Amino acid sequence: MKTNQMLEVKDLHVYYGAIHALKGISFHLNEGEIVALIGTNGAGKSTTLNSVSGLLTPQPGQLFFGGKEITNTPPQDVVKMGIVQVPEGRKIFARMTVRENLEMGAYVFNDRDHIEADVQHAFEMFPRLRERQKQLGGTLSGGEQQMLAMARALMTRPRLLLMDEPSMGLAPILVEQVFEIIQEINSKGTTVLLVEQNAQMALSIADRAYVLETGKIVLEGTGQELLTNPQVKEAYLGG
Amino acid sequence: MKKNVTALQKGLNTGITLGVVMVFLSLTAFTVVLANIIGDSYRPTPVTYGFVIALFGFFGGLMASSKRGLPNDDWKNVLTSSAAAGLIGGVILAVPLAVLGSIHLNGTDLRNYLVMVSPDVMETYLFGIGLLPAILITVIIFAAGAILGGAFNKGAARAEWRARWMANSQEKIRSAWQAPRVQQVVAGRYSKLFFMVGALLLLFLMPFVWGSYWNYVMGTVGLYILLGLGMNIIVGLSGQLVLGYVAFFAIGAYAMGLLSSPEPLGIQLGFWPALLASILVAALTGILLGLPILNLRGDYLAIVTLGFGEIIRILIKSDSLTWFTGGPKGLRAIAQPAIFGLKFNSDVNFMHLILVGVLVGVFIAYRLQYSRTGRAWLSVQGDQTVSRATGVNTYQYKILALALGAAFAGIGGAIFASRNQFTGPEDHVLMVSINVLCLVIVGGMGSLPGVILGSFVLKGIPELLRDLTDYRLLVFGVLLVVMMIVRPEGLWPTRRPKLEKQHLSKYDPDNDEASSEEVSA
Repeated sequence: MKTNQMLEVKDLHVYYGAIHALKGISFHLNEGEIVALIGTNGAGKSTTLNSVSGLLTPQPGQLFFGGKEITNTPPQDVVKMGIVQVPEGRKIFARMTVRENLEMGAYVFNDRDHIEADVQHAFEMFPRLRERQKQLGGTLSGGEQQMLAMARALMTRPRLLLMDEPSMGLAPILVEQVFEIIQEINSKGTTVLLVEQNAQMALSIADRAYVLETGKIVLEGTGQELLTNPQVKEAYLGG
Repeated sequence: MKKNVTALQKGLNTGITLGVVMVFLSLTAFTVVLANIIGDSYRPTPVTYGFVIALFGFFGGLMASSKRGLPNDDWKNVLTSSAAAGLIGGVILAVPLAVLGSIHLNGTDLRNYLVMVSPDVMETYLFGIGLLPAILITVIIFAAGAILGGAFNKGAARAEWRARWMANSQEKIRSAWQAPRVQQVVAGRYSKLFFMVGALLLLFLMPFVWGSYWNYVMGTVGLYILLGLGMNIIVGLSGQLVLGYVAFFAIGAYAMGLLSSPEPLGIQLGFWPALLASILVAALTGILLGLPILNLRGDYLAIVTLGFGEIIRILIKSDSLTWFTGGPKGLRAIAQPAIFGLKFNSDVNFMHLILVGVLVGVFIAYRLQYSRTGRAWLSVQGDQTVSRATGVNTYQYKILALALGAAFAGIGGAIFASRNQFTGPEDHVLMVSINVLCLVIVGGMGSLPGVILGSFVLKGIPELLRDLTDYRLLVFGVLLVVMMIVRPEGLWPTRRPKLEKQHLSKYDPDNDEASSEEVSA
């Protein structure tokens, strides 16, 4: 495993009004890894992702990406640096066609040929989207929408992919497909930060993982270690 | 309507609805106005009034005999339904006729209670032949009209020969269109250019031909197209429901007025520099308004901007600012355009100025809508969070939409003030915002042809309805309601709603889980 750090999060705090959602968490991602953040509802998983992608401003806390500080960088610049988020709940543009959704993903680029090549690449990865490219995003099924959200994120040619609850609301067979695709994306060189409630699935593909509990990191280790950890077993894997 | 009602029930339902509407129209003497229009006179005659009654009956018959809700559309059902509708409608109409008729015949002037029902109107309702025969005749004419309507619907409108005739004529038109000579002209090298030059020429000649009244009406339509183009950028593309749009219009008009009128500031710039200033000031106001409302969405945004529009109007009107804005009296003697010292102030000139403005405006709006910027606006409208996550600077684009939308309103306001040589607080009431929003919705959100069509419908049709005098807005309101029921996505929608329908019907439910909640959202 390579050891050069891609993302480093230092003592991150986030407040929603009076609520102290993240109470100073620190973690890091090495290049090429899949790292999972697991935890229950309200543990602060999505808040962490939103802070990394710039949708939220941490107060206080520091974020470094490839050695460069990105703490107060607005989201559009974070995207340009190669960090892209797949938002929770399959958020796609319901009233744009599948192709337009993909083109929106490439919003930060201007080179038509390159974008078209990326679109074709996305279609190869998700053949179902090619069939439905002229269809409005909102008319896709749940699984297809998750695929579209991932394909759209890949259009920004990310170095770091932030996945927020990709299994949410999907049938078990589709969850498996989605996780296979995440591994495939990772094997092509994209680092993945994965936030999941489905701890079993997440830990089984993760190189390393952190367990988040009410705004604090309480455990960390490799995916396999945590899968067999009795504490994790009891709290997240159903005994 | 439920599927399994009998023909009689459907007829009765239709008849009751129609009867109540007829009573209302009679009490407001609308039927008499229609009779006057049909008879082209100031006094209704029994014949024209009878015709109006029959006409309403006819429509009732059409409605009662429509396929929807009928068990089947054979002759028996159609005639039962329409006859029932006609009779029940006629009877309902006859009740107030009997009551009011007897009061009228006792010598009481009904206008004491019902403003519109003058003795003359009452005489018309009674056909001048006494109470009982009049009631009979009313019911008979109404029912006859309804039966005729039902028969027409079944016999003529629905018959096979009509379908064949339609198909035939379509085929004829198509073959004529595809004829080699026609195609040669259409596809010819210069024909597109030729058509465009022809259309432009026609547009520029019309103002000379149709007289000053139509120049005024069409000028207003044109100004509303400009306002609609701006509103369409803000609401239709970037998805911000801004209700105080009139403020930008007011600021354009006042910038023009203050910079060019001798009072109260006495700056007296010419028209063209003042126009440029109006656009800039309006756009700047858009930016200034945009900053505090950046994080507001939906209802909250609507309320805040509504307040903004009112604040501007009240400031203009306020006594303490009279030294600056002219107060309630407004601004007079606003400059009119001149080119090379040539005065440019007739109604024809202004119509031309507005035409140029609209053409340029449509071109700019078109280029914007189908650019990267337009796509970014649509993404902001779709989902702001995702839009940010894909790298769109949503704040920047929301403000840009407001600035550009405001600039369009500024041009509109400036030309408006110059054309009237006057502008005052009463020109800038909330109704303007609502009208502009309406025209965008009626035309179809986010659609440029929709904006143009919507302006004609909202500002043009009321002029065509002038014959209806006081009932103009009533009829116009009904037309709007009908339009929105028949075409809820607008008169000329963008292709998106169409796509949605098309794919929903094609969607096969056995794929994963259906996602209907996203579709309806």
